[in-house]
Amino acid sequence: MLRIFKVSEDSLNPVIREGDFVLTSKIPFLLARLKPGDIVVLDHPIHGRLIKKIEKISADGREIYVIGTHEFSLDSRQFGPVSRQIILGKVIWHSRRPGR
Amino acid sequence: MFYRLLEALDRKVGFEEAKAHCDIPCGIYDPIVAQISALTVVRMLDLMAAKEAEGGEKNAAFYNSMSRYVAVKEEHAEKVKSEIRVIWGDFIKAPQLEQFPELHGLVHKIMMLGSKARQTTDRASAVELVESVNQFAEIFWKVKGLGVHRAKYPMAPNLELVYPNL
Repeated sequence: MLRIFKVSEDSLNPVIREGDFVLTSKIPFLLARLKPGDIVVLDHPIHGRLIKKIEKISADGREIYVIGTHEFSLDSRQFGPVSRQIILGKVIWHSRRPGR
Repeated sequence: MFYRLLEALDRKVGFEEAKAHCDIPCGIYDPIVAQISALTVVRMLDLMAAKEAEGGEKNAAFYNSMSRYVAVKEEHAEKVKSEIRVIWGDFIKAPQLEQFPELHGLVHKIMMLGSKARQTTDRASAVELVESVNQFAEIFWKVKGLGVHRAKYPMAPNLELVYPNL
Protein backbone atom coordinates (compact mmCIF):
# COMPACT_ATOMS: atom_id res chain seq x y z
CA MET A 1 0.00 0.00 0.00
CA LEU A 2 3.03 2.24 0.40
CA ARG A 3 5.16 2.87 -2.67
CA ILE A 4 8.16 5.03 -3.47
CA PHE A 5 8.56 6.74 -6.81
CA LYS A 6 11.32 8.85 -8.27
CA VAL A 7 10.02 11.94 -10.04
CA SER A 8 11.19 12.82 -13.52
CA GLU A 9 10.47 16.07 -15.36
CA ASP A 10 9.41 19.32 -13.88
CA SER A 11 5.72 20.06 -14.41
CA LEU A 12 5.05 20.24 -10.65
CA ASN A 13 7.87 22.67 -9.94
CA PRO A 14 8.23 24.18 -7.34
CA VAL A 15 6.09 21.84 -5.20
CA ILE A 16 7.82 18.69 -6.39
CA ARG A 17 10.83 18.78 -8.65
CA GLU A 18 12.71 16.50 -10.95
CA GLY A 19 14.82 14.02 -8.97
CA ASP A 20 12.69 14.13 -5.80
CA PHE A 21 11.44 10.90 -4.23
CA VAL A 22 7.80 10.61 -3.17
CA LEU A 23 6.12 8.17 -0.85
CA THR A 24 2.56 7.36 -1.84
CA SER A 25 -0.15 5.54 0.02
CA LYS A 26 -3.53 4.12 -0.84
CA ILE A 27 -4.38 3.86 2.84
CA PRO A 28 -5.60 7.48 3.09
CA PHE A 29 -8.32 6.62 0.60
CA LEU A 30 -9.89 4.49 3.29
CA LEU A 31 -9.50 7.14 5.92
CA ALA A 32 -10.03 10.37 4.04
CA ARG A 33 -11.41 11.41 0.70
CA LEU A 34 -9.08 12.77 -1.94
CA LYS A 35 -9.29 16.51 -2.12
CA PRO A 36 -8.17 19.28 -4.46
CA GLY A 37 -4.54 20.14 -3.85
CA ASP A 38 -3.47 16.55 -3.16
CA ILE A 39 -0.58 15.24 -5.24
CA VAL A 40 -1.27 11.82 -6.73
CA VAL A 41 0.54 9.24 -8.84
CA LEU A 42 -1.64 7.73 -11.54
CA ASP A 43 -1.36 5.24 -14.37
CA HIS A 44 -2.75 6.97 -17.42
CA PRO A 45 -3.78 4.52 -20.16
CA ILE A 46 -2.02 6.53 -22.87
CA HIS A 47 0.56 8.68 -21.17
CA GLY A 48 1.83 6.22 -18.59
CA ARG A 49 2.68 6.83 -14.99
CA LEU A 50 2.22 10.48 -14.10
CA ILE A 51 2.44 12.55 -10.96
CA LYS A 52 0.01 15.47 -10.85
CA LYS A 53 -1.97 17.68 -8.53
CA ILE A 54 -5.73 17.27 -8.10
CA GLU A 55 -7.49 20.39 -9.29
CA LYS A 56 -11.05 19.27 -8.73
CA ILE A 57 -13.20 16.19 -8.30
CA SER A 58 -16.53 15.64 -10.03
CA ALA A 59 -19.66 15.82 -7.91
CA ASP A 60 -20.09 12.04 -7.92
CA GLY A 61 -16.41 11.59 -7.00
CA ARG A 62 -15.60 9.34 -9.93
CA GLU A 63 -13.78 11.78 -12.20
CA ILE A 64 -10.71 13.66 -11.13
CA TYR A 65 -9.10 16.62 -12.88
CA VAL A 66 -5.35 16.67 -12.46
CA ILE A 67 -2.96 19.46 -13.36
CA GLY A 68 0.69 20.43 -13.21
CA THR A 69 1.99 23.84 -12.26
CA HIS A 70 3.97 24.34 -15.46
CA GLU A 71 2.37 25.93 -18.51
CA PHE A 72 3.34 22.96 -20.72
CA SER A 73 2.20 20.34 -18.26
CA LEU A 74 0.44 17.40 -19.86
CA ASP A 75 -2.67 17.00 -17.74
CA SER A 76 -6.48 17.12 -17.67
CA ARG A 77 -6.39 20.30 -19.71
CA GLN A 78 -5.35 18.07 -22.62
CA PHE A 79 -6.57 14.56 -21.78
CA GLY A 80 -9.61 15.42 -19.68
CA PRO A 81 -10.57 14.04 -16.29
CA VAL A 82 -9.23 10.69 -15.12
CA SER A 83 -10.98 7.86 -13.37
CA ARG A 84 -10.39 7.47 -9.65
CA GLN A 85 -9.51 3.85 -10.37
CA ILE A 86 -6.24 4.69 -12.16
CA ILE A 87 -4.87 6.56 -9.17
CA LEU A 88 -2.08 4.54 -7.58
CA GLY A 89 -1.68 6.59 -4.47
CA LYS A 90 -1.59 9.94 -2.80
CA VAL A 91 1.75 11.52 -1.93
CA ILE A 92 2.07 11.57 1.84
CA TRP A 93 5.75 12.51 2.06
CA HIS A 94 8.50 13.54 -0.23
CA SER A 95 12.23 13.89 -0.11
CA ARG A 96 13.70 16.78 -1.99
CA ARG A 97 16.91 16.48 -3.91
CA PRO A 98 19.63 18.25 -1.89
CA GLY A 99 20.89 21.62 -2.98
CA ARG A 100 17.39 22.70 -3.89
CA MET B 1 20.12 12.23 4.83
CA PHE B 2 16.86 10.56 3.76
CA TYR B 3 17.54 11.53 0.20
CA ARG B 4 21.00 9.94 0.21
CA LEU B 5 19.49 6.77 1.65
CA LEU B 6 16.74 6.71 -0.97
CA GLU B 7 19.27 7.43 -3.70
CA ALA B 8 21.40 4.48 -2.58
CA LEU B 9 18.32 2.25 -2.47
CA ASP B 10 17.28 3.52 -5.90
CA ARG B 11 20.64 2.49 -7.33
CA LYS B 12 20.19 -0.95 -5.81
CA VAL B 13 16.53 -1.71 -6.44
CA GLY B 14 15.50 0.99 -8.93
CA PHE B 15 12.35 2.77 -7.79
CA GLU B 16 9.55 3.18 -10.27
CA GLU B 17 9.40 6.49 -12.05
CA ALA B 18 6.48 8.92 -11.96
CA LYS B 19 6.57 11.58 -14.64
CA ALA B 20 5.62 15.16 -13.95
CA HIS B 21 5.20 15.20 -17.68
CA CYS B 22 5.02 18.07 -20.15
CA ASP B 23 3.38 17.72 -23.56
CA ILE B 24 6.27 19.38 -25.32
CA PRO B 25 9.76 19.73 -23.92
CA CYS B 26 9.63 22.35 -21.16
CA GLY B 27 10.82 25.68 -22.45
CA ILE B 28 14.53 26.33 -22.29
CA TYR B 29 14.95 29.48 -20.29
CA ASP B 30 18.21 30.94 -19.07
CA PRO B 31 18.92 34.47 -17.83
CA ILE B 32 22.56 34.29 -18.95
CA VAL B 33 21.75 35.99 -22.27
CA ALA B 34 20.31 38.97 -20.39
CA GLN B 35 23.28 38.98 -18.03
CA ILE B 36 25.82 39.02 -20.89
CA SER B 37 23.82 41.68 -22.70
CA ALA B 38 23.79 43.87 -19.58
CA LEU B 39 27.55 43.43 -19.32
CA THR B 40 27.86 44.41 -22.97
CA VAL B 41 26.07 47.68 -22.26
CA VAL B 42 28.67 48.55 -19.62
CA ARG B 43 31.47 47.48 -21.94
CA MET B 44 30.22 49.74 -24.71
CA LEU B 45 30.01 52.69 -22.33
CA ASP B 46 33.62 52.03 -21.29
CA LEU B 47 34.75 51.87 -24.91
CA MET B 48 32.92 55.13 -25.64
CA ALA B 49 34.58 56.82 -22.67
CA ALA B 50 38.00 55.51 -23.72
CA LYS B 51 37.50 56.73 -27.26
CA GLU B 52 36.52 60.16 -26.04
CA ALA B 53 39.50 60.26 -23.67
CA GLU B 54 41.88 59.59 -26.56
CA GLY B 55 41.24 63.14 -27.73
CA GLY B 56 42.42 64.02 -31.19
CA GLU B 57 40.43 64.81 -34.24
CA LYS B 58 36.74 63.99 -34.34
CA ASN B 59 37.03 62.55 -37.80
CA ALA B 60 35.09 59.93 -39.72
CA ALA B 61 36.94 57.11 -37.97
CA PHE B 62 35.98 58.55 -34.58
CA TYR B 63 32.30 58.84 -35.48
CA ASN B 64 32.35 55.43 -37.10
CA SER B 65 33.65 53.81 -33.89
CA MET B 66 31.32 55.81 -31.68
CA SER B 67 28.26 55.02 -33.74
CA ARG B 68 29.10 51.32 -33.67
CA TYR B 69 29.45 51.38 -29.87
CA VAL B 70 26.14 53.19 -29.55
CA ALA B 71 24.41 50.76 -31.89
CA VAL B 72 25.66 47.74 -29.93
CA LYS B 73 24.64 49.40 -26.66
CA GLU B 74 21.15 49.99 -28.05
CA GLU B 75 20.84 46.44 -29.28
CA HIS B 76 21.97 44.82 -26.06
CA ALA B 77 19.96 47.05 -23.74
CA GLU B 78 16.88 46.04 -25.72
CA LYS B 79 17.95 42.40 -25.60
CA VAL B 80 18.13 42.56 -21.79
CA LYS B 81 14.55 43.80 -21.71
CA SER B 82 13.33 41.23 -24.19
CA GLU B 83 15.01 38.23 -22.54
CA ILE B 84 13.76 39.16 -19.08
CA ARG B 85 10.24 39.78 -20.38
CA VAL B 86 10.12 36.32 -21.95
CA ILE B 87 11.21 34.52 -18.77
CA TRP B 88 8.91 36.67 -16.66
CA GLY B 89 5.91 36.32 -18.96
CA ASP B 90 6.27 32.70 -20.07
CA PHE B 91 8.00 30.89 -17.26
CA ILE B 92 7.07 32.69 -14.06
CA LYS B 93 3.69 31.62 -12.67
CA ALA B 94 1.61 32.27 -9.57
CA PRO B 95 3.51 29.78 -7.35
CA GLN B 96 6.82 31.49 -8.15
CA LEU B 97 5.31 34.90 -7.51
CA GLU B 98 4.08 33.73 -4.13
CA GLN B 99 7.58 32.50 -3.39
CA PHE B 100 9.26 35.68 -4.64
CA PRO B 101 6.75 38.55 -4.38
CA GLU B 102 9.47 41.06 -5.26
CA LEU B 103 9.68 39.72 -8.85
CA HIS B 104 7.23 42.14 -10.48
CA GLY B 105 9.01 45.12 -8.97
CA LEU B 106 12.39 43.78 -9.98
CA VAL B 107 11.31 43.17 -13.58
CA HIS B 108 9.87 46.67 -13.78
CA LYS B 109 13.16 48.07 -12.48
CA ILE B 110 15.07 46.13 -15.17
CA MET B 111 12.75 47.56 -17.85
CA MET B 112 13.40 51.09 -16.59
CA LEU B 113 17.15 50.59 -16.34
CA GLY B 114 17.22 48.99 -19.80
CA SER B 115 15.53 52.07 -21.24
CA LYS B 116 17.89 54.37 -19.38
CA ALA B 117 20.84 52.42 -20.78
CA ARG B 118 19.59 53.24 -24.26
CA GLN B 119 18.79 56.87 -23.55
CA THR B 120 21.92 57.87 -21.66
CA THR B 121 25.61 57.16 -21.13
CA ASP B 122 25.22 56.80 -17.37
CA ARG B 123 27.61 54.01 -16.37
CA ALA B 124 26.29 53.76 -12.79
CA SER B 125 22.81 52.97 -14.12
CA ALA B 126 24.24 50.37 -16.47
CA VAL B 127 26.09 48.71 -13.59
CA GLU B 128 22.82 48.76 -11.66
CA LEU B 129 21.22 47.04 -14.65
CA VAL B 130 23.80 44.26 -14.42
CA GLU B 131 23.13 43.87 -10.71
CA SER B 132 19.35 43.85 -11.15
CA VAL B 133 19.59 41.18 -13.83
CA ASN B 134 21.85 39.22 -11.48
CA GLN B 135 19.15 39.40 -8.81
CA PHE B 136 16.62 38.14 -11.34
CA ALA B 137 19.00 35.29 -12.26
CA GLU B 138 19.37 34.39 -8.60
CA ILE B 139 15.59 34.10 -8.22
CA PHE B 140 15.29 32.19 -11.50
CA TRP B 141 17.82 29.54 -10.46
CA LYS B 142 16.25 29.22 -7.03
CA VAL B 143 12.91 28.60 -8.73
CA LYS B 144 14.65 25.92 -10.78
CA GLY B 145 15.84 24.41 -7.53
CA LEU B 146 19.51 25.30 -7.91
CA GLY B 147 21.83 27.21 -5.65
CA VAL B 148 23.89 30.04 -7.10
CA HIS B 149 27.30 31.61 -6.73
CA ARG B 150 28.81 34.85 -7.86
CA ALA B 151 32.01 35.11 -9.86
CA LYS B 152 33.77 37.95 -11.59
CA TYR B 153 33.35 37.74 -15.35
CA PRO B 154 36.86 37.07 -16.72
CA MET B 155 36.72 39.76 -19.40
CA ALA B 156 36.19 43.51 -19.32
CA PRO B 157 34.25 45.04 -17.67
CA ASN B 158 35.03 42.33 -15.07
CA LEU B 159 31.78 42.70 -13.16
CA GLU B 160 30.26 39.95 -11.05
CA LEU B 161 27.69 37.61 -12.53
CA VAL B 162 25.40 35.11 -10.83
CA TYR B 163 25.86 31.51 -12.00
CA PRO B 164 23.86 28.37 -11.12
CA ASN B 165 25.56 25.63 -9.13
CA LEU B 166 25.22 22.83 -11.67
